[in-house]
Amino acid sequence: MNSTKAMTAEDMEIRTDRMRFIKNHLSANLALLAILFDVFYFVTVYRQDVGSYYYNIIIGASIIYNLLFMLTVFLCSEGVKNYKKNYSILLFAVGILQFVRICILPMKAHFATTLIQNEEVRVMSDGQFMTLVVFLVASGICCILAAAVNWSRCRQLEEHMNKLAAKTA
Amino acid sequence: MAELSLQHIDKIYDNNVQAVFDFNLEVKDGELIVLVGPSGCGKSTTLRMVAGLEDISAGHLLLDGRDITQTPAKDRDMAMVFQSYALYGHMTIYENMAFSLTLRKEDPNVIHKKVIAAAEILGLTEQLNKKPNQLSGGQRQRVAMGRSIVRNPKVFLFDEPLSNLDAKLRGATRREILLLHKRLQATMMYVTHDQTEALTLADRIVCMSMGHVQQTGTPLELYDKPANIFVASFIGLPPMNFFDVKVAGDVLMGEGFSVPLSEAERAVLLPYQGKEITLGVRPEDMTEGGDVPVDVTTNENLGMNTLVHGYIGGNRKLRITAKLKGWCNFKNGDTATLSFNRRHFFDKETTNAIR
Repeated sequence: MNSTKAMTAEDMEIRTDRMRFIKNHLSANLALLAILFDVFYFVTVYRQDVGSYYYNIIIGASIIYNLLFMLTVFLCSEGVKNYKKNYSILLFAVGILQFVRICILPMKAHFATTLIQNEEVRVMSDGQFMTLVVFLVASGICCILAAAVNWSRCRQLEEHMNKLAAKTA
Repeated sequence: MAELSLQHIDKIYDNNVQAVFDFNLEVKDGELIVLVGPSGCGKSTTLRMVAGLEDISAGHLLLDGRDITQTPAKDRDMAMVFQSYALYGHMTIYENMAFSLTLRKEDPNVIHKKVIAAAEILGLTEQLNKKPNQLSGGQRQRVAMGRSIVRNPKVFLFDEPLSNLDAKLRGATRREILLLHKRLQATMMYVTHDQTEALTLADRIVCMSMGHVQQTGTPLELYDKPANIFVASFIGLPPMNFFDVKVAGDVLMGEGFSVPLSEAERAVLLPYQGKEITLGVRPEDMTEGGDVPVDVTTNENLGMNTLVHGYIGGNRKLRITAKLKGWCNFKNGDTATLSFNRRHFFDKETTNAIR
């Protein structure tokens, strides 16, 4: 039993040591996946053109934010790949914002109505709304997971590097 | 434990050109064998046949008694280091070294242990996160070696690994290979056209020419007792001087010079009395003051030694190079007298050594 425990501890040690040379692909790929879900989101959100609802400032801001989101998360994916701890904070914040976004455009559009041929029509159907929520939630979760994994690995690596430094000192 | 046996191996290409003729060699466990010879002599072809990169036209290749003549390269448990390093530029050194094991789907922790151990042996620990283009040629070649070490193969094969390096780096990397061999005690086959590499690295040397093995032996044997004129001229720097002489009683008569024979030499040359033979003298086996007059053309001071070039008795056919101890100051046109302290005799027809 003891030897099994010792083996596990050694394995853990080696796993941590490997981080010195292997990039954090899990966090980086999760961040890229978040971008992918965001792309699905904005492809879906502009799908319908019902009246003139979409031609307002929110849509303009939404387009700009999508571009900013993609750039930021891509930058973060490169950062977390190299175990840069601060990128976790940025990624976490961006992930939370994806949840906040549900309450802005999709929800507003979902509850908004417009007159078409004297008939009140909903701007966004239930199905489209749910799809958009799923994409934003998935994107947000990916960002937060990427941030959490990177944070945890960075701490492990830091401790390991400190141990190594103490050994060599 | 890895013993290699090459038995009557031939290589004939599709266009009927034969590159290797009846190659026989027994490589002992832990031995470093160097195949040496000029370009096109078949040494790399032989190594590639051992690696499984070339088909063996005839003969048998045995590894630890098992016939692997028809075994594919990937199943031969041999690792080859190429002249061009063959590293993946987009991967880090760590990833390059781990690559073959990753392909085999080995446990990542085991791979890590092996890569770290190999990096420590080769002094590459600090370079593991770098890309190949950030390393010097010598370091890249060490990475290529590291990639072989992690596989823990039965036999290491080196195909002119130092040819891309400059002279200084070549010397340093050569010493590293030697240390590596001592440390790993692995069976190694090494191909080079550089006789200095061959003499310094090898446990045994196989000297090849035109696809034929000329001589197999320890570096000292090849230097001291060359089997024929080819080996005598190929091993040693500057190369051995050769002169046509006639055995006349107790002297060798050359054009414009004569060399007295010792009792032992007379006995060896008894069957050649009155016949012409080839006399070979290494430049370092000559000293100043003797019976052979030399018209000096150039005097190259190397510090500890001086290379003196000239012609015996001014005869333009009898070119000679002597490596004399110390600092000499001969000028063009001076006459130096030299003595041949150690002589090698070769049959003029067969070019084989007379012993």
